[in-house]
Amino acid sequence: MTFDHPIPAPGTDPQWFKRAVFYEVLVRSFKDSNGDGAGDLRGLIDKLDYLAWLGVDCLWLPPFYPSPLRDGGYDVSDYKGVLPEFGTLEDFTIFVRRAHDRGMRVVVDFVMNHTSDQHPWFQASRTDPDGPYGDFYVWADDDTGYPDARIIFVDTETSNWTFDPVRKQYFWHRFFSHQPDLNFENPAVREAIMDALRFWLDLGIDGFRLDAVPYLYEAEGTNCENLPETHGFLKSIRKMVDDEYPDTVLLCEANQWPADVVEYFGDYSVGGDECHMAFHFPVMPRIFMAVRRESRYPISEIMAQTPDIPANCQWGIFLRNHDELTLEMVTDEERDYMWAEYAKDPRMKANIGIRRRLAPLLENDTNQIELFTALLLSLPGSPVLYYGDEIGMGDNIWLGDRDGVRTPMQWTPDRNAGFSTSDPGRLTLPVVMDAVHGYQVKNVEAQLQNSSSLLHWTQRMIQIRKENPAFSLGDFTDLGGSNPSVISYVRVFGDDIVMCVNNLSRFPQPVELDLRRFEGTQPVELLGGVRFPPIGELPYLLTLAPHGFYWFRLGEALP
Amino acid sequence: MSAENWLVNATALLSGWLRHQRWFAGKDRPVDDLHVLAATRLRADDPAVWHLLVEVSQGPQTDLYQVPLSIRPQPDDRLEHVLLGRIDEGYVYDALHDKAATADVLERFARQDAIGSLRFITEPGAALPLGEASLVLTGEQSNTSLAYGDVALLKVFRRIQPGLNPDVEIHDALTRAGCGNIAPLLGWIEGTWEDRHGRLQEASLAMLQSFLTTATDGWAFASASVRDLFAEGDLHADEVGGDFAGEAERLGEATAQVHSRLAQVLPVGTMTPDDLIDLADAMRARLKAAVVTVPELTQHAPALETAFDELAEIDTDVPTQRIHGDYHLGQVLRTVVGWKLVDFEGEPEKSLAERTALDSPIRDVAGMLRSFDYAAWHLLVADHPGDDQITYRASEWATRNRSAFCNGYARAAGRDPREDAVLLRAYETDKAIYEAVYEARNRPAWLPIPLAAAERLAEGVR
Repeated sequence: MTFDHPIPAPGTDPQWFKRAVFYEVLVRSFKDSNGDGAGDLRGLIDKLDYLAWLGVDCLWLPPFYPSPLRDGGYDVSDYKGVLPEFGTLEDFTIFVRRAHDRGMRVVVDFVMNHTSDQHPWFQASRTDPDGPYGDFYVWADDDTGYPDARIIFVDTETSNWTFDPVRKQYFWHRFFSHQPDLNFENPAVREAIMDALRFWLDLGIDGFRLDAVPYLYEAEGTNCENLPETHGFLKSIRKMVDDEYPDTVLLCEANQWPADVVEYFGDYSVGGDECHMAFHFPVMPRIFMAVRRESRYPISEIMAQTPDIPANCQWGIFLRNHDELTLEMVTDEERDYMWAEYAKDPRMKANIGIRRRLAPLLENDTNQIELFTALLLSLPGSPVLYYGDEIGMGDNIWLGDRDGVRTPMQWTPDRNAGFSTSDPGRLTLPVVMDAVHGYQVKNVEAQLQNSSSLLHWTQRMIQIRKENPAFSLGDFTDLGGSNPSVISYVRVFGDDIVMCVNNLSRFPQPVELDLRRFEGTQPVELLGGVRFPPIGELPYLLTLAPHGFYWFRLGEALP
Repeated sequence: MSAENWLVNATALLSGWLRHQRWFAGKDRPVDDLHVLAATRLRADDPAVWHLLVEVSQGPQTDLYQVPLSIRPQPDDRLEHVLLGRIDEGYVYDALHDKAATADVLERFARQDAIGSLRFITEPGAALPLGEASLVLTGEQSNTSLAYGDVALLKVFRRIQPGLNPDVEIHDALTRAGCGNIAPLLGWIEGTWEDRHGRLQEASLAMLQSFLTTATDGWAFASASVRDLFAEGDLHADEVGGDFAGEAERLGEATAQVHSRLAQVLPVGTMTPDDLIDLADAMRARLKAAVVTVPELTQHAPALETAFDELAEIDTDVPTQRIHGDYHLGQVLRTVVGWKLVDFEGEPEKSLAERTALDSPIRDVAGMLRSFDYAAWHLLVADHPGDDQITYRASEWATRNRSAFCNGYARAAGRDPREDAVLLRAYETDKAIYEAVYEARNRPAWLPIPLAAAERLAEGVR
């Protein structure tokens, strides 16, 4: 098996997702093909060559469905359509085919917990309680049911129940009050969801990111999260895709503690029979904390607390995404832990309030951006990059809080950053123009021309990751070591062994590592192929530059 | 080879070699007499391995040392640094460094072996990393420790005192009690021998425990935080990224948990008001002697004495129990599952009776609080002497972390150690006086650290 080639064509490798590099791309903000000021599918098609060059194996598209857009498209009003400003179903089909032509897969967001209140199902349900959609949502005569379910969006919602003046009943919603939860007790709802999933699979997509899966079912006396019925339905989706669409991946978004998230992988004895992948949420804030604290323990601890996962499953890890991943968005347990453990300092909380992109969070410090990226590409799990972070794009904190990190991709130093030919005033979101991150300084064209740019560096790192299967498939062992500011680990996959040593501190650091089990091998640095002194019996001494890191291959035994 | 012959020859090598070992207590005095009290052959040849218990007389002082030796017919370059010398039978090495000599130790534990003067005892259910090779860890003072793979640590006591070593005793009790804040005990080696008067003696010779692979010691971790603070132009201790207070608080919790476990599984007692008067007298006597060695203490002595006066005036019983006894940041390890306390031997220069005596856990708290002070100040005396701004921030760091430690301790113990203010001040004062004497003799550059503490304690500022 070679790893420096594109992920094999569909149908040839059911575990392609375990070594894929994912890339989250917002259609609206990537490339505008028709000059109307909003990105669209044809624009995205034009940029597939760029993404293939970068080394992306799989694109993740957040919702592009028809929607009143009160929740960034996560309020879907038609499960089988494309938002007109993004293009047509035909555009989508061409996009999937073109991506496949370049060896890239496509995973789309699917929001099954709830719909928009504008969805025809909801409109029918509220006006005709006895009609075919009357039981599609969770209705009640009062708002006293399921009192143990927490309110997730505490800043905007006061209850999980909202009164509907038309039907004169309360409907259940775990998120915004304009997003009624579907009633999964109703077999017709389950069938309708299956039908929608098949619709997209028939168009050739390679999988779904399943949004907000812990909340599908409700039951009195529980917190209405992670219920057995929810797992049961996910298992039935898995069985459907395995039977009818092999090679399809289900990536679940369950913002929970890793010990709870593993439930979503399903049965260990058969290698997992529920979701193929799940996001590992706590890793991201831990990386920020570890670098801030100049201590490896925030990362080491969460890795130690992460259970093994079934053989055919994989974590998804990320540094940033389209959401702000604040402490408000993690579980109560995790938030309490974070605050008690690490956020005693009020400045810390501000920094972890991550409604910002990677580069501005790290004050545009190249060394730190590279260190964070190296950690993302070497910790266990498939990395998910966020569009624009490969060039160190900035954000616009003056936009509404969710839009600040969704500004147009910066392609060139020309008008509208090369994103659109429209009148600048017509852009759905303005391009970033500040002196540090603005499109005139940071854009793909300039960085492609400069071989020492972050873009070229990122491309090279992805390539190295692909050349060494241990990064994607290997076991993880924390090496510890004498220096609390240095995190070192080995990833082992068969005879491919890589060792990563990362300096989390602003200062140069020495570290002594106990590498006796690799005695007699010679570390080869992976970026430059430099041979380091052979490993002996005594602790192996390395010195690291501030926020520096090494990737070594340890496979080579000395004669 | 004949035991008699080589013993005579090897003994001749020992007296010169011993005096250069870090763990040898009488380096500054000549060896008057050297007597092998027990010799156990652990391996016949290639290399031959002998376990010796050697009594060393230096003037009136007699100490017993544990010296395993390996004898190889051919020299081994890798062992050159632990060569005692050459005798007719071959080259004599410190066997603890000789992997061939240490290879079967774990197997002996596994079958609970008894051979010669040695008996191998294993904790119930202990998992032993059979087949792993050993490696001597560097940096140890009074013992020699061997890591077997990254799984087990064999701590070989060098100077032997008859009786059960408190390190073994406490680890055994805490392991059986399921205490999570230590490295669990896997086993230990008991030794028996006849002393020169023909009396049978017994002692712990070595201890095998789990190796905490990914650990950092508390001193290195705290020093990293202090360095981080000093590198900032003007931020306070609670503002810098490397803030240690969260760690200090968790360390306080772990300390209290171990104390409470020790009180459950090992004897407890009380100090009566009369005992406290005696304790205060002993502390006064140490202060008096210290003033002679460290004249800088003189100006604070009357104020420091008030700490002991107050101690003598306590009119209630003070609860006592087994404690760590030599507690500081170098005796704790941060692992991925929290803080672990190590090394329950007590202060090595004290007698076994003193090291196993019951005492107030406040003594340990005082030891750790003094250690936070050292962590804050040691870089100051080394790198920034006389810098007022950094001095101010160092004391801020110490205050912040001392208080966080007490908060954590209070939460887990249900009682804040600062409520025992008189006891705490007396122990801290006594410790600072001890430190002043130690630094004046061994590390004059660090003397300002305990002196500054003495000044603060004299002012009643904590």
